[in-house]
Amino acid sequence: MSNVIKNPRNGCALHGALQTVHEIEGVVPVVHANAGCGVINYLANKSVGNGAGRYSGFAIPGTAAQERHVIFGGASRLREQIKNTIKVVNGDLYVILNSCESAMVGDDVDAMTREIVEQGEPVVDTLIAGFNGGSHYGYEHVLNDILKTIDGVKKNEKNTDSKLINIFGIVPQKDPYWQGNLEEIRRIFTGVGLKVNLFFGVYGGVDDLVNAKNAVASVVFSRWGELPAKLLKERFDVPYITVSSLPASARDERELIEKISEYVDIDQEVRESFLNSEEKYEKNYLSRIRDDIFEYDLGKRTLIVGDEEQVIRYGKLFSEVLGARVVGAVLTDALKKDEEHDRDNTELLESIAENIYITSDAKDIEDIIKRSRAEVVIGSSLEKKIAEKNNVSLLEFSYPIYHRAILNQTTAGVRGQIELLQSYISIVKEKQLEKKEELIRFVQSVKGGESWHELSHGKSVVRNSERTAKLVNYGG
Amino acid sequence: MAEKIGKHIAIYGKGGIGKSTTTSNISAALAEAGYRVIQIGCDPKSDSTNTLRGNNYLPTVLDSLREGNKIHLDDISVKGFGGVLCIESGGPVPGVGCAGRGINAAVNLLQELNLFEEFKPDYVLYDVLGDVVCGGFAVPIRDGITDRAYVVSSSDFMALYAANNLFKAINKYAPTGGAKLGGVIANSMKPGYHREIVEDFVAKTGTSIAGYVNRSIDVQQSELYGKTVIEAKPNSTQADIYRNLAKYIAENENLVVPNPLGSAELRDWARNWGDRIYDIESGVVGVAEAI
Repeated sequence: MSNVIKNPRNGCALHGALQTVHEIEGVVPVVHANAGCGVINYLANKSVGNGAGRYSGFAIPGTAAQERHVIFGGASRLREQIKNTIKVVNGDLYVILNSCESAMVGDDVDAMTREIVEQGEPVVDTLIAGFNGGSHYGYEHVLNDILKTIDGVKKNEKNTDSKLINIFGIVPQKDPYWQGNLEEIRRIFTGVGLKVNLFFGVYGGVDDLVNAKNAVASVVFSRWGELPAKLLKERFDVPYITVSSLPASARDERELIEKISEYVDIDQEVRESFLNSEEKYEKNYLSRIRDDIFEYDLGKRTLIVGDEEQVIRYGKLFSEVLGARVVGAVLTDALKKDEEHDRDNTELLESIAENIYITSDAKDIEDIIKRSRAEVVIGSSLEKKIAEKNNVSLLEFSYPIYHRAILNQTTAGVRGQIELLQSYISIVKEKQLEKKEELIRFVQSVKGGESWHELSHGKSVVRNSERTAKLVNYGG
Repeated sequence: MAEKIGKHIAIYGKGGIGKSTTTSNISAALAEAGYRVIQIGCDPKSDSTNTLRGNNYLPTVLDSLREGNKIHLDDISVKGFGGVLCIESGGPVPGVGCAGRGINAAVNLLQELNLFEEFKPDYVLYDVLGDVVCGGFAVPIRDGITDRAYVVSSSDFMALYAANNLFKAINKYAPTGGAKLGGVIANSMKPGYHREIVEDFVAKTGTSIAGYVNRSIDVQQSELYGKTVIEAKPNSTQADIYRNLAKYIAENENLVVPNPLGSAELRDWARNWGDRIYDIESGVVGVAEAI
């Protein structure tokens, strides 16, 4: 008998694929699935404050397959839907997304796609079914499938651009700060004179997919993204590098640029000038928090819940800069045995966190938080209740984050670093203030009505605060 | 679940082995004996009840479902020989869609239409296609739809392989209320060692033989007339064979959960028989010695 999984934070492969193509400007998804499959994806993401996507609400083209399409096959329904979608929704590329039922029934989605392509329409498909994996799998495989076939529908002679870099591994929506992080990566690369194919967000689009083969190299910023990078290497000889996480310091940025320098020519002067200014920026703000570092005890017992890349990025930063003790890391993305990716971060993770857990089950995560005796949890909104219950400070930096608008804020690069540090320090300070206030309330309650009486007459105010201060000092 | 009206019997077997012929003749024999019978063809080919209704056109349940209109029992059923109510589930065209889901949907729809409450059958026979290749084809033996299954098999290895697969399915579903096995109908029996092969197989799997049906020209001729043997040649020996089989099936309450052979076991068993048959056919030994 299987266990109940509480609030798993990742959707299925179809959801991953859908939210991925959803965020590529110019792409129109056509979902060949039950009506519910697309809707669930919408519902899952609507509470997350990344802003509405290009298609608002339920308006995603789809076949809304019914039982008769399962029994008699849904291919002709798909054909009809693709044609109608092309008529009413303008797009540069139509991406057909398969689903569990069409995969099980064996609908010939490829044939339908070919048929429409022969009529001159830019259509590609992916045959991944929801049950193939989680949403990260969907992200990676849909990109892979699009890059595999886009050449056939968008003719483009290979013409390598010696400054162009493909960026993979920042998963739209799954990284709550994906928009800001993409923009930060772009700022860093353009800062040293390079150009980027971001695919997603304000600077991305279908052209990035078409031009991916013309890049001089690809950079994969997490476990998820290796597959399309590998494909471009095998098919178009575009080399790629993988890094464990997005940069979150001037040093990380320097290391990244040095790594990429092996594949691309970067003007030394431009590079140094940019990296020096990054270091200056970082130094300026770090020096501004030095007093906080000395005054407050920032080396808190910290537990991080999130995707592997985020765990690495946040863990490294908080332990190296603030001296936080990372007592545990819960990886919510790499759940099953990973045979698809070459990158193995085990050693790195072990150097960052005292204990590593792999689960996306909220019940497991709650137990881990309880056991860890962590003082600060970096996690998602799903950890809010348990954090409150255990009087633990929660910093919401991983998916999903409710009740906050996150548009272009970043948690990467030196700017993201400062954002992360100020949030951490703020929450420690807030907790300290809370404790102080609690103590004052306690003292006042011990003194009972008298304190109110005395306070109201202003007679004993000085005496009371003196006593409170003594107690605080004693307690502290 | 409401009490079942009538005995519900599923008849399985490898494609082309004579399931529909056998089932239709059993239905005809039961009807001739005065019972109210429904025969439901669970096969996309939708030809199970052909010989009961003189090859007349009958819209299938799934065809009607595809049209999307409100379905009435009269639209999808017709009375054939002896008043046997004939129904064909139908299915997708070959190579498209999911026939397994189709059977499931058709059986559900018949229940929704209160078929059994309306017709009040004594016997309901489900003629199920081919091998039990996926969950959809096991629908008639799960969920309490039928409580007994028979398998039609010749002495061919592939037919017995299909029978063994059915045994596996019964073995899986019987503990949770699925059907049990009534027996093996040994079809297309020719003289020689054929009976012994089937008998050996049932002995190995803890099952029994419901009846032997010899290969007969009467069957072929009746089919060409679009009739069952019971209707076309009521006085033939073959008709009596079917009558006896029908009587056995009607009365048999000795239902078992079979012990299917494992893949290696089945292969070894078949290989062993292969050697013996070779010796017989090549005249090395006589039939009696080989057996």
